[in-house]
Amino acid sequence: MPEVVVTVAKDLEDLIPVFFKNRHKEVEALRAALGAGDFPQLAQLGHRMKGVGNSYGFELVSVLGKRIEDAAKAADGALIDASIAEYADYLANVKVVYG
Amino acid sequence: MGELAEPHSMHAERGAPTPAFRVLVVDDDPDMCSFLARLLRQEGMSVDTAGDGHAAIVRVMTSPPDLILLDVMMPGPSGFDVCRELKGDEATALIPIVLVTTLEDQDSRVRGIEAGADDFLTKPVNREELLARVKTLRRLHETRRELEGRRLAAEIERKEAIRRAFSRYVAPRLAERIIHNLGENGGLFEGRAQRIDVVALFADLRGFTRLTERVEVGEVVEMLNEYFRVLTEAAYHNDGTIFNMAGDSLLVGFNVPFAQADAPIRAWRTAREMVSRFAPIAALWEERTGFGTGVGIGICAGEAIIGNIGSPHYMSYTVIGNPVNVAARLMQMAAADEVLICGPLYGQLKGLLPAGGVQARGDVTLRGRSEPIPVYSIKITPGAS
Repeated sequence: MPEVVVTVAKDLEDLIPVFFKNRHKEVEALRAALGAGDFPQLAQLGHRMKGVGNSYGFELVSVLGKRIEDAAKAADGALIDASIAEYADYLANVKVVYG
Repeated sequence: MGELAEPHSMHAERGAPTPAFRVLVVDDDPDMCSFLARLLRQEGMSVDTAGDGHAAIVRVMTSPPDLILLDVMMPGPSGFDVCRELKGDEATALIPIVLVTTLEDQDSRVRGIEAGADDFLTKPVNREELLARVKTLRRLHETRRELEGRRLAAEIERKEAIRRAFSRYVAPRLAERIIHNLGENGGLFEGRAQRIDVVALFADLRGFTRLTERVEVGEVVEMLNEYFRVLTEAAYHNDGTIFNMAGDSLLVGFNVPFAQADAPIRAWRTAREMVSRFAPIAALWEERTGFGTGVGIGICAGEAIIGNIGSPHYMSYTVIGNPVNVAARLMQMAAADEVLICGPLYGQLKGLLPAGGVQARGDVTLRGRSEPIPVYSIKITPGAS
């Protein structure tokens, strides 16, 4: 994935490092839940991503969260696996600018 | 699972002056809490956070906020559960609750309304929408608080006006108790008449009719006011209730409307004070007119009927019955500075009355009564203890 530039409100700047730390932990938690076949936990994690992502300005986090939540309810492990990979890729390539 | 940027705290921001409007943010996602708290603090609000439903309820109970932003899907009690509990409690029912949720379907909104939510906010949160909703609820809150303040001030003023007016009719301490009990079921002036033991005291001015022939009409009124002033002071000093003031006589009741275990003693002290307080006035009047006056008093104890008697157009809180009639007859018989008391009351006061100062009048048949009753006379020397 090429670099993705996201503009975040200046007044949230000091919150962003922790926000990303938690997102990376989230990826690990998603992988662990998928490995365990724990779809309720996956739905819960996806639900959280959906709520918090675009509140900070990261729209794709919310989009992927909804996809993971819906896929978990449908027990669609393949789609979840692909979504987790896309999430990790996004986090590796996102660049934040403040304004 | 998450690390806290601005920790889930049970405390408001430290060090900052306490803003008037306090918001509790409840969300199991610490990043969401931090985000909402940041936006609200920038608007000068004080923000507490809680990470689950249990912590939220504890926080509300110990330090009620002015507004709650409440996530719906949380571990433990859901936002619906928390909302229902808080809205079902009289102490917290009026705190506005905004449900903040990604659930956008109609069913969830209906559940939120049923749980008592005041408003909804959809995640991801749009900051303009968040602030607009919170500011609206803040204005409503402040308006409600201002109205409540005005209502309380008006209520205090109303009670004070009642107290001022009422204190002219009953002893001030009795007025306080009556006002305190206003609005309660079976309030003092709402119930039916009842039979209770009372002590009735009648006082009358001796020699006044003759004296009035020597002074101007306007002066008579001033003199009567002077006389009633000291008699009512004596009655109120002993927590008596004045039932009637007619001509130059005064009827005072004890053990009514509230119980006074020492009612006979209060009545006796009132009689003594009436004579003592009036004595200097009588002396001045005598100096001016050449006529002597004094207070004649009759006191009797027994069962009487107390209640509101009259018509829908005019009611009077009244005491009627045997002790009142007997006290009136005794008062008519009493000379200046003399107190006549009925037999049963004498039995209760014996130890308090001045040694050698009581004269048994024997059994007396009072006007309008067939059976004679024992009567005792006490001559009061003004100023004597």
